[in-house]
Amino acid sequence: MSRTVAERDTVAASRRTSGPIARTLRLLALLGATVIFVYPFFWLISASLKPSESVFDNSLLPSDWQFENYREIWTAVPLGTWVLNSVTVTLAAAVAVTISSALVAFGFAYFRFPGRNLLFGLVIATMMLPAVVLMVPQYLVWNSLHLASSQVPLWAPNLFGSAFYIFLLRQFFLGLPRELFDAARIDGANYWTMFYRIAVPLCRPALVVTFVFEVQAAWTDLIRPLIYLRDPDLFTVPRGLKAVLDQFGEGGELRWEIVCAASVVVTVPMIVVFLICQRQFTSGIATTGRKG
Amino acid sequence: MAAPPRRRFRRSASLAAASTGLLTLAACGGISFADDSDTFVTMGFGAGDALGTVRLERATEAVAPLDVQVNEGQFDEQQFLSAVAADDPPSVVRMDRALIGGYAARGALMPLTECVDQQGIDLDEYRPGAIDEATLDGTLYGLPDSYDNRVLLVNREVVAEATGSDTVDTSDWAGLMDFAESLQTRDGARLTRIGFDPKIPEFFPLWVEANGGQLISEDGRTARLDSPEVVEALEYAVSLIDAQGGWGRFKALRDSFDQFGANNQIARDQVGAYPMEDWYVNVLAGTSPDVDLGTQPFLDREGEPINYVSGLSWAIPKGSPHIDEACQFIATMTSAESWVEAARAKAEEVRATGAPYTGDYTGNREADRIIENEIWEPTGNDAFDEATRQLYAVQDDSFSVPANAAGTEFRKAWQSAVNRVLSGDQEPEEALRQAQDLAQTALDIANQGEE
Amino acid sequence: MSDPATLAGTGRRARTRRWMASWRNRDTRAAYLFILPWLVGFALLTAGPMIASFVLSFTNYDGIGPTKNVGFDNYRQLFDDPSVATSMMNTLVFTALRVPLSMALALALAMLLLRVTRGSGFFRTVFYLPVMTPSVAVGILFLLLFNGNVGVINRALEFVGITGPSWTTDGSWVKPGLVLTTLWALGGTVVIYLAALKNVPQELYEASELDGAGRWTSFVNVTLPQISGALFFTLIVNTIASLQTFTEAYTAFYGTANTQTYSSDAALFYVVYLFQQAFQFMHMGYASALSWLLFLVILVITLVQARLSKRFVYYEGEAR
Repeated sequence: MSRTVAERDTVAASRRTSGPIARTLRLLALLGATVIFVYPFFWLISASLKPSESVFDNSLLPSDWQFENYREIWTAVPLGTWVLNSVTVTLAAAVAVTISSALVAFGFAYFRFPGRNLLFGLVIATMMLPAVVLMVPQYLVWNSLHLASSQVPLWAPNLFGSAFYIFLLRQFFLGLPRELFDAARIDGANYWTMFYRIAVPLCRPALVVTFVFEVQAAWTDLIRPLIYLRDPDLFTVPRGLKAVLDQFGEGGELRWEIVCAASVVVTVPMIVVFLICQRQFTSGIATTGRKG
Repeated sequence: MAAPPRRRFRRSASLAAASTGLLTLAACGGISFADDSDTFVTMGFGAGDALGTVRLERATEAVAPLDVQVNEGQFDEQQFLSAVAADDPPSVVRMDRALIGGYAARGALMPLTECVDQQGIDLDEYRPGAIDEATLDGTLYGLPDSYDNRVLLVNREVVAEATGSDTVDTSDWAGLMDFAESLQTRDGARLTRIGFDPKIPEFFPLWVEANGGQLISEDGRTARLDSPEVVEALEYAVSLIDAQGGWGRFKALRDSFDQFGANNQIARDQVGAYPMEDWYVNVLAGTSPDVDLGTQPFLDREGEPINYVSGLSWAIPKGSPHIDEACQFIATMTSAESWVEAARAKAEEVRATGAPYTGDYTGNREADRIIENEIWEPTGNDAFDEATRQLYAVQDDSFSVPANAAGTEFRKAWQSAVNRVLSGDQEPEEALRQAQDLAQTALDIANQGEE
Repeated sequence: MSDPATLAGTGRRARTRRWMASWRNRDTRAAYLFILPWLVGFALLTAGPMIASFVLSFTNYDGIGPTKNVGFDNYRQLFDDPSVATSMMNTLVFTALRVPLSMALALALAMLLLRVTRGSGFFRTVFYLPVMTPSVAVGILFLLLFNGNVGVINRALEFVGITGPSWTTDGSWVKPGLVLTTLWALGGTVVIYLAALKNVPQELYEASELDGAGRWTSFVNVTLPQISGALFFTLIVNTIASLQTFTEAYTAFYGTANTQTYSSDAALFYVVYLFQQAFQFMHMGYASALSWLLFLVILVITLVQARLSKRFVYYEGEAR
C-alpha cells in the first residue's frame, strides 16, 4: 500500500512540475484564502481585548489592551461552572457514544444473524434521518421521564450508539482479517475477548476518530442545551455564550468586547483539541467521504 | 485467558446491560432539582441598582426562611413555557405585561384573585393601565414592577441649529417629515445622523394611537391590524425612515450607538429627536449630564399629548412550588413602602456619583407620589429637572395595548408585519392584512381554548 | 462472505423455522446482545418518539392545557400559515446558494492544495479551524463582521470603492450574508475532496494527456468522474445540513425578545420556525406536523439526489 502511494507521488510530482509563475500564483491564492480563514479569529481575539468604544475600529491590534474584559466576563457570569459542565457533558457524550457504537458495530460486522440486513438497513436509514425531525419527539420522551430540565438528554442518547459512528466503525471492523478471530476462537476466546482484545486494539484509530468527532459535536451543540437547560448553573458554554449575548449584546448592554471574550473562551478549547488530534479529524473526515 | 462459555456469555451480556443501565443511574445524578423545597426561584429579574436590590432584600425577608435564587437575565419565553410544561416552573416570574394575557389564557399563570384577598393588596394603589394590561377577562394575573413612559427626547442644540426652534411638533406629520429630512446627515452613502427616529417596530402602537387608531379592540378579542388608521400609521412611519436613507443604513447606524456610554447618540449628535422610554433619561443623567436635552410629550395628530406605556409585571406560574410565598414576594416587591425605600437608596447612590437623580416611575401611584414630592428634588441641571417634571406630567395621558389572549403571538404578528415592510419584503397594506389574519386566528384559537 | 441463510430454501415457513432455530444458536444471541444498545435506543429514541409525534400531530398538545383531538387542523394550518411557506422558501434558497458554492470553492481549494508540496499540512489546518468554531460564535461573528455601518466587511468594500449592503438588516442581503458566513466552515469538504483527488490514478491523466486533452478537458473527463463519489457524498451531507440550519440564524436574529422585535422573516429558516412553535409557544401538536413536513421534504430531496447519483456517479471497482 505505502509503496504504491510513493510511486504515485513520484509520478504526480513529475506531472506537477509547472512553471514558477503558476506555482507562485497558486501559493498566493492559498495565502489569500488563509488570510480569509484566519482573520475572523484574529478579529475576535483582538476585539475581546479592546475597550468598548473601539471594538469596531477594526484595527488588527488593540491600542489599549484590556485584559480586564476576561476578568469581567469571568465574574459577571459563572463561566467556570459552564466550562466544567461542558467538559462533563462532552466527555460523557463522547465516551458513551464510542463504547456503545463500537459494541453495536462489532455486532453487525462480526456476526451473521437473522435480521441483520434488515436491522443494518434501519441503521443506515436513521443515519439519513435529519436530527431536527426528532427534536420535538425526543423532547416528549425526556419530558415524560421528568428529565426535560436536566443535562441528561445532552448525553444519554449516546449510550445507544449513533448510526453514523456505527456505520463508520463497522467498516473498520469489516476490514480486519477474519482469520484473526477464527484463530482466537480456536484458542478458546469468547466473543467479548475477541471484541476487547482483538477488534478494539486494532481499530483504535477509528475509535479515536469517533471520540474526537463526538467531542466536537457535543461541545459546540446549542440546540439541545437551549431546549433542556434552564438553570444557569447547568449551562454548557454555547448555551452560556448565548446568555452572554442576550445580556451584553444587541438589546442588552451593548458591550460587544465582553461577548467577544466569551466567544474566545468557547472557541479556544476546540482549537486546542483540533491541533492535538488533527490527524484523527482529517483522516476521519476523509474516510467518511470515501466510504459514503 | 479463555473463560468458560457460561461466564463469557454473561460478561458480554452484563456489558450491554450496563450501558443501558447507566441511563437509570444518570436519572438520579446530574440533574438539578431546582425545586428543592426550600429554594425560591425567580425568573426574568435582575437586581441591578439599589432600586432592585433594596426591594429584593425586603421581598427575601418576606419569604424567609426560603432561600431566594435569582436567575438573572431577561425573561425568555422559550425557557418559561418549557419550564411550566416540564413541571419545573420558577416560584415567581417577571415578564412583559403584553405577554401576560397569552400565558393566562393557556393556563400557564395563576390568577391573583386569592393572593390579592389574602395579602389585602389595595389594587387602587397601582396605575390602572398597568393593572388592566395584566387583566384578562376580568381576572388579574400580574402586579406591575415597572411603568415605562414614552416622551420625546430632543437634541436641542442640533434641532435649534437646523430649525431655529428647540421643540419638535409631532402632530404635524408633513412638517415632521421635513424636519427629519433636514436634520439627517450623511457621509457618502452612510447615514451619520438620524433626523427623527420613529422607533418602530417597538413604538408602532404610539403611531397608531397618534393616528387615532387601535391595534386591537378594547376587550382584546378583535384585531384591528388592517384598519385604515393602522395602515396609514405604518406607511407614514416607514416613509420617515425611507426619507433618511432607508432601513438598512438607518438600523446600522442605530446599532452602532454607544447607547450606555459617554459617547451616546445624543452626546455625539447622531440623532435629532425621537420618542424614548423614561429609563433612558436616567441613563443619560449618569453618562452625560451635560447634553443639551429637551423633553416634551409626544403629540398625536390632534395635538394632544399621548404616552404609550408598557412595562413588566410579576406573576405566579402554574405549578409554582411556593404559591403563598410567591404572593408575599410580589406584594412586597411592588408595595409603596418598598419602592420608596428603594428609591431613597437609589437617589443617594446616584447623588453620591454627582449625577442628577431623575426620579423613578414605578406603576405604583402612591410610590410615585412620594418619590416625586419627597425624594426627587430639583438638581439645578435644568435639562434633567425639566425631563423629570415632564415624565411625571405625562403619566396621566397614558395608554397601553389592551390585554389579549394571544399575547406574544399577537405582538409578533404586528411586529413582523412592520419588519417585513421595513426590510422591503411587503407593502404596508399587504403586510398588515397578513398580520391581521394571523393575529385573529391566534386570538380565536386562544379564546376558544379557555372556554 | 456469502450468507448461508440466503442460499437455502425460500419458503416462508422454512424461513420462520430457520429464524426460530437460529435463536438456539449462540452466535445469534451474542450478536443481539452486542447490538442491544442500538435496538433499545432505536425503540426509545427514534421509532417510539416518531410514532408519538405522529399521533400528537393530530392534537393540540401543549404540555400545559388539556389535550384534545383536532383532526387534520394542524396539517391544514401548514398551508394557511404564511410563515411556513416563507421559512421553507428561505431554507431552500439558502441551501440552493450555499451547497453549490461551498462545493465549488472547496474543490478549488482542494485542487490548489493537491499541488502544493510543502506546507500543505499548514493550509489544511487553517482551512479546517473554522469547522471547529461553535456555531453560536459564528452567529456572533456574523453580526459583528457584517454590520452594515461599522463592520469590517463593508469597511473593506468601501476601501475598494464599493458601498456594501446592510447585510444584517436588509431582507435581500441577510441570506447571502449568512451563506458567506457559513462558507467559512467548508474545511471538512476540502479534506474530503483532497483525499478523493489523491486517489485518482495518475495513469488516467497521462492517458488523457496522450489523447491531447488540455487541463480543462482532463478535469471534466477524468477528475470529476473519478471523484464523483465524494462529490455526491458532500452534496447529500451539505444539503441535509443546510436544510437544518438553525444556530447561526437563531443566535443572530431570534435569540431574545429584543432581537426578535427587529427580525424580519428574511432569516426565518424552517428549523428556527419549528423551534419557535415547539419551544417558544409550546405548540407541540403543530410542531409535530411541522417536523413531519420537514421529514418529507428532506426525504424527497435526498431520494432525488440519490436517483441522480445513479446516473452520474462512477464507483471505482464497483463489484456488487
